[in-house]
Amino acid sequence: MKAIQFIKVSLVVLFLVSGMIGCSTTPPVSQDTVGQSDMSQQADAKAATGVTEDTMKEETVPTHAHMANMENIYFDFDQFTLSAEARKTLADNAMYLKTNSGTKVVVEGHCDERGSDEYNLALGESRALAAKNYLVSLGVSAKQLSVISYGEEKPAVMGANEAAWAKNRRAEFKAVH
Amino acid sequence: MLLRWLVAVLLCLALPHTVLAATEIEISSPGEQSIPLGLTKFLPDQGVRSDRIADEFDEVLVADLDLSGLFRFVDPQSFLDDADRIGLFSTQVNFPQWRLLGAETLIKGTYHLDGDNLVVEGRLFDVVNRRLLTGRRYVGQSKDVRRMAHAFADLILKELTGEEGPFSSRIAYISNQTGDKELWLMDVDGKRPLRLTNHRSIVLNPDFSPRGKEILFTSYRANNPDLYRKEIYTGKEAKLSYKPGLNVAGRMSPDEREVALTLSKDGNPEIYLISTSGRIRKRITENWGIDSDPSWSPDGEKITFVSNRQGNPHLFIADIFTGKTVRLTTRGKYNATPAWGPKGDRIAFTRQEGGRFDIYTIKTDGTDERRLTFGPGNSEHPRWSPDGRFIIYSWDKDGNRAIYVMRADGTGSRRLTSLESDSRHPAWSPRW
Repeated sequence: MKAIQFIKVSLVVLFLVSGMIGCSTTPPVSQDTVGQSDMSQQADAKAATGVTEDTMKEETVPTHAHMANMENIYFDFDQFTLSAEARKTLADNAMYLKTNSGTKVVVEGHCDERGSDEYNLALGESRALAAKNYLVSLGVSAKQLSVISYGEEKPAVMGANEAAWAKNRRAEFKAVH
Repeated sequence: MLLRWLVAVLLCLALPHTVLAATEIEISSPGEQSIPLGLTKFLPDQGVRSDRIADEFDEVLVADLDLSGLFRFVDPQSFLDDADRIGLFSTQVNFPQWRLLGAETLIKGTYHLDGDNLVVEGRLFDVVNRRLLTGRRYVGQSKDVRRMAHAFADLILKELTGEEGPFSSRIAYISNQTGDKELWLMDVDGKRPLRLTNHRSIVLNPDFSPRGKEILFTSYRANNPDLYRKEIYTGKEAKLSYKPGLNVAGRMSPDEREVALTLSKDGNPEIYLISTSGRIRKRITENWGIDSDPSWSPDGEKITFVSNRQGNPHLFIADIFTGKTVRLTTRGKYNATPAWGPKGDRIAFTRQEGGRFDIYTIKTDGTDERRLTFGPGNSEHPRWSPDGRFIIYSWDKDGNRAIYVMRADGTGSRRLTSLESDSRHPAWSPRW
């Protein structure tokens, strides 16, 4: 079961990577061939070493047009501090929320499976609150935001490895209808 | 109600203990020495012969006594004809025969099955001094045979060590075998699992009230992690704390007057004491970090909990009355799930080392740390048996987490739940 899901995840990742390769191999005419081959080598190397979540995130969500699902932010193990990248994502999310001030969002805090359930519930809460507070500091109305922690109870990805854990240490933003 | 079958009659304890003082068997802790025991299969006494009854009683008794670590079983293959003789009076037992086999203690018994009614009578003998140590008669129905055997195992430990066994108590845990995480209850050997909730949501971290009548747990049933209380016998259930944010890790105080729990209503997970009607009585922690997972000292004066106030998650102990808080653990970078032992002297917890969780115990003054598990996989959520002899925990070495039990020194580990679904977060009831 887990293996199947892992394979699915791997396939998705591969698909996304091949998408990127596709983009990089249709460059503007001015680009020279050496650069081209370097880029595809890079992409190949990434595919071979296992692709990090960051690679897919930045390139695969093109616009804010489909922001009914705002982008997740990710955390380090046992941390709820916001990375530079998380702050960047939150800035995008804040922009969307400010222009759609009627939208209400639940910020869900999640953890990877390691650690105690109780501590992880608290950690998930702290992650959700950190995200919420940052959004508020960027001018989002606190009334648009509520938080809930699911601790380690709702992993995004199954699997007992760092790649899966990294995807599970996250805050999600879900519109309330 | 649960014990309606049990009419326990203490039998034949006529022998004065005074003359026997010199031969008392002294046991300081499980595993340190073992008593050679002849454990015979119980025999039918006039009523209907039922191998199922005899076998099941024997199976439970052997498993319980083996887990205790107190005994070395004399091989039943070597038993002589006294094992097949019914006589339960010490004058009827052929003690020299048992002596010959190396047994120092002997268990014999009979059962009487009449329709569905079952009477089991068990006796423990001191082979060396040729005397009855204890005996009891259990009256009930044939379905009660396991409970009778557990009760007899409890009695044997009490007779030999002065402290009753925990085998008649129960274990609450969380299992996803219905597809949702629900609260379950089982015997201490993993048998007779019973589902207690049907929330079809996420049910988490159960804990028994100190008298064993209720279980506290957290559920997302109302789309928020709220704390519930549930009466085990009536099934009656009510929300106890449902403030915005976390209402988790509820642990009832030893006097059952207060509940320690983690609330995040003020924007940060902190530990509070609330009354049993849910009103906040006291805030225990106040800092920027995470404070969670309280566990009461048996005297109800202190709680140990997890906090990352100094960077990494470590265990702390707070005095309920003065608020004075001291750090308990100094090693490792991730210490969690403290469980204060019933004797008050040690605290069990988990530590992450090399990317893996194992179970440790430590004295309440922070000394004498002992590691109990050594992988593979993660061993988590230790909880003590009510007598402090055993620790129950979850272990994921085979993929899914399952519930295991071991002796408090880390030996004798055995699995209690199936590997087909995920079982975790055990809590051991007090004695029923």
